[in-house]
Amino acid sequence: MKHHLLTIAVLGGLIALAVGASEAFGIRLYDRIATHLCISLVLVLGLQVFMGNSGILSFAHIGFMGVGAYTSAVLTIPVQMKGMALPDLYPVMQGIELSPYLAVAAGGLAAALVAAVVSFPLMRLSDAAAVITSFALLVVLYTIMTHWSEVTNGPRTLFGLPKATDLWTAAVVALLALGAALAFKESRTGRLLRASRDDEHAAAAIGANIPLLRWRAFVVAALFAGIGGALWGHFITSFSPKAFYLKETFLILSMLVIGGPATVTGAVIGTFVVTVAYESLRALEGLINEAKLIDQPVIGLTEIVLAMAMIGVLVLRPGGLFATREIGVLVARQMARWETRSWTGKPPTAPSTTPTPKNPKTSG
Amino acid sequence: MLEVTDLEVRYGAIRAVRGISLSVAKGELVALIGANGAGKSSTLMCIAGALNAAAGSVRLAGEDVTSATPEKMVRKGVATVPETRDVFPDLTVSENLRLGSYIRRHDTAGIAQDQEHMFGLFPVLAERAAQPAGTLSGGEQQMLVIARAMMSRPTVLLLDEPSLGLAPVIVDQIFAMIAELKASGLTILLVEQNVAKALLVADRAYVMRLGTVSTSGTAAEISANTDLSALYLGG
Amino acid sequence: MTFAIQFLIDVLSLGGAYALMALGLVVVFGILRLVNFAYGELIMVAGYTMFLVSGSGLPWLVMAAVAVVMAILASIATDYVAFRPVRAKSVTAVLITSFAFSTLLQNAALLFISPRPRTVPLPDMFSQVVVIGGVITPMRNLITIAAAVILLGLFALLMRRTVLGIAMRAAATNFTMARMLGVPSNVIISAAFAISGLLAGVVGLLWIGRIGTVVPGIGLGPLLIAFIATVIGGMRSLSGAVIGGFLLAFIDTSLNYTLPQDLLKFRDAFTFSLVILILLWRPEGLIKGPATGQRT
Repeated sequence: MKHHLLTIAVLGGLIALAVGASEAFGIRLYDRIATHLCISLVLVLGLQVFMGNSGILSFAHIGFMGVGAYTSAVLTIPVQMKGMALPDLYPVMQGIELSPYLAVAAGGLAAALVAAVVSFPLMRLSDAAAVITSFALLVVLYTIMTHWSEVTNGPRTLFGLPKATDLWTAAVVALLALGAALAFKESRTGRLLRASRDDEHAAAAIGANIPLLRWRAFVVAALFAGIGGALWGHFITSFSPKAFYLKETFLILSMLVIGGPATVTGAVIGTFVVTVAYESLRALEGLINEAKLIDQPVIGLTEIVLAMAMIGVLVLRPGGLFATREIGVLVARQMARWETRSWTGKPPTAPSTTPTPKNPKTSG
Repeated sequence: MLEVTDLEVRYGAIRAVRGISLSVAKGELVALIGANGAGKSSTLMCIAGALNAAAGSVRLAGEDVTSATPEKMVRKGVATVPETRDVFPDLTVSENLRLGSYIRRHDTAGIAQDQEHMFGLFPVLAERAAQPAGTLSGGEQQMLVIARAMMSRPTVLLLDEPSLGLAPVIVDQIFAMIAELKASGLTILLVEQNVAKALLVADRAYVMRLGTVSTSGTAAEISANTDLSALYLGG
Repeated sequence: MTFAIQFLIDVLSLGGAYALMALGLVVVFGILRLVNFAYGELIMVAGYTMFLVSGSGLPWLVMAAVAVVMAILASIATDYVAFRPVRAKSVTAVLITSFAFSTLLQNAALLFISPRPRTVPLPDMFSQVVVIGGVITPMRNLITIAAAVILLGLFALLMRRTVLGIAMRAAATNFTMARMLGVPSNVIISAAFAISGLLAGVVGLLWIGRIGTVVPGIGLGPLLIAFIATVIGGMRSLSGAVIGGFLLAFIDTSLNYTLPQDLLKFRDAFTFSLVILILLWRPEGLIKGPATGQRT
């Protein structure tokens, strides 16, 4: 329990620090970045809930972000504007205008509901097939968003959402997401799911209903994604389906993979690292374009660098920066070492805890 | 022919083989016997190139092959039949045999000849030549993997527990085969839990226990002196 | 009657293309158990190669050959960049590295060539129309069917008759044991990637031939098709991939013919729902792959 409190304290402190620093600087740009960071945290933590515990890669996550965003949009765009923003909207929905807070929750629930219905048959699939199907699901969600003009305004931009998300709201939701992700990890579902990740047969032998466990994690992840999407919608106030497709999937995935999918700490740290890298690279791209060093506009540089970073991390540290242990554990160990040292005046001998790796020769 | 010196094999921090030395002269059949977990298979797999050696060396006809890959070992004339008896279940018996001769794949005449020879030695394989190997019985599969290993015309054969899980009658047949292979001049290193049978065909034997060699000598010496039941019970 | 012939030609030509796409994916998956997310980009590479050599004045067939060779090289490069360094680590790691490599390739095209569509030279033969049994259809469809038949036939021959094919099938079942018989692992793996590149290159040219232009994201459609065809056909079965491809083409074509106009744009959602139903019934796909006993 102590470890978990430490983890929450450290990570939560980091978030609070980022938010506080941004406020202190008072620059709008930093506010925007910090808010994006908090929203990304919600999304990445959601992905961690599913990927980290089940060991299965899911590409559909951003699709559910879209579900949440559009649901919240339809529920909150002021009635006067609905005529312009969503000209073909079904009459029954035209009169609805809810408070953004309710709508964000509704967005999360809508995403969770869609996930619950669509994903149950998919949870019995083997790892590779599950990943592939999740990818297809992303494309399907994107297709629906692009063509269901009545509700999404089709491929065109949807505008008119009230700007309800500010830095503090985003930060609070991010902190709640942090706690929830940790809680899920340590819950019975989370533990059993991790057991099944490591050895499917053994887990089944102790009565774990693996498809059901995976399904629960998937639905919870979609809930996070829906809330994150709705929050984002109310921050940016206008968007199109293109915002919920491959580029964003790649970004969110890079955050989780670089940080470490198996730990909540990995999700948080990864988000920080990639956000900083992304913003810096974007700024660099902007500078290069302004300086007109090359006559073509420089686009895609950020993604290329991030892609190479992802491959690099996977080659050198396949589990990510925080592969197995939450930061609370690491801090507790360090504290224990300091305590021992202060008692005896000597540094303690550290026990070796290297896991036993397999021995086979691989490539010729 | 085969010289193993101070070989160590590790699985992470665990030392499965703790510095063993053995040798097999040309044309000899040497048995590596001992209880479960003694490190016999690990030794064999390391010689075969499938496992890394943490320390020590393996020399084949004077040449250092300690870090050679399995493919390289086959090209140098060392064929291995692992304990897991890995036939390719969806390939036919003929296809399995053909794959055994991969390194000689351009010698179509020689391969055809060898396949006939194998069918002569193992008539039951001839019967089932077009059947998927997965439909064969345990004993038939054992014969197949030995025949398959022989298709590469090896000079050294590494056999890991050929009698495992087979009925006594079949085991007799397998060992008769092994004796014939030895008689034809093949150098054989045989890992076996069936000590009695192994000592009947072997020239010499090494007894392994917990990763090291506890006794060695001619087959006659070992069967006379060592308490066989102690071996089986890991004493 | 004309309707039936039209339907048949549509299904066969689409199915042929789909089957080739799926096969190119399964060749690598069957042996390595690894999904190649950068597979779609092989088609992109073929397309952009055609664009880049279009000014050279060479006959189309020569340009096409160059494009296919580039696809093969790109496929082998994928192995060296995204697979070999991480193969031993975990299945998920490879999925992600190949996804990252896919993003890298697409953005490289974006950065170094252009984000806008680029025209790809096509032989006149592609758009010539042919009349069969009262049905008018572009020659391209017939060429696709012919190409599919030839390539699938050659592939089956390779797998069944040649030592390389037998070695690849063996490696797909038990990689380590194949090595212990002297089968060089590197050769097998490179061969698999090369075949994958060849199939992707050829089907890529036929696929791009329907639109005539190439964009960085052109590989996504075929990738998805290959994915779905493979999943419903059976992920580790070569024949399953082919069957899955034809089945998917059948579903897509049928939906094209039967869905009312305003629902047609949601065709992919309907296809996917049908796929989910198939998976509910048979999670491992329609055709079982080689027996292993471990979880796929």
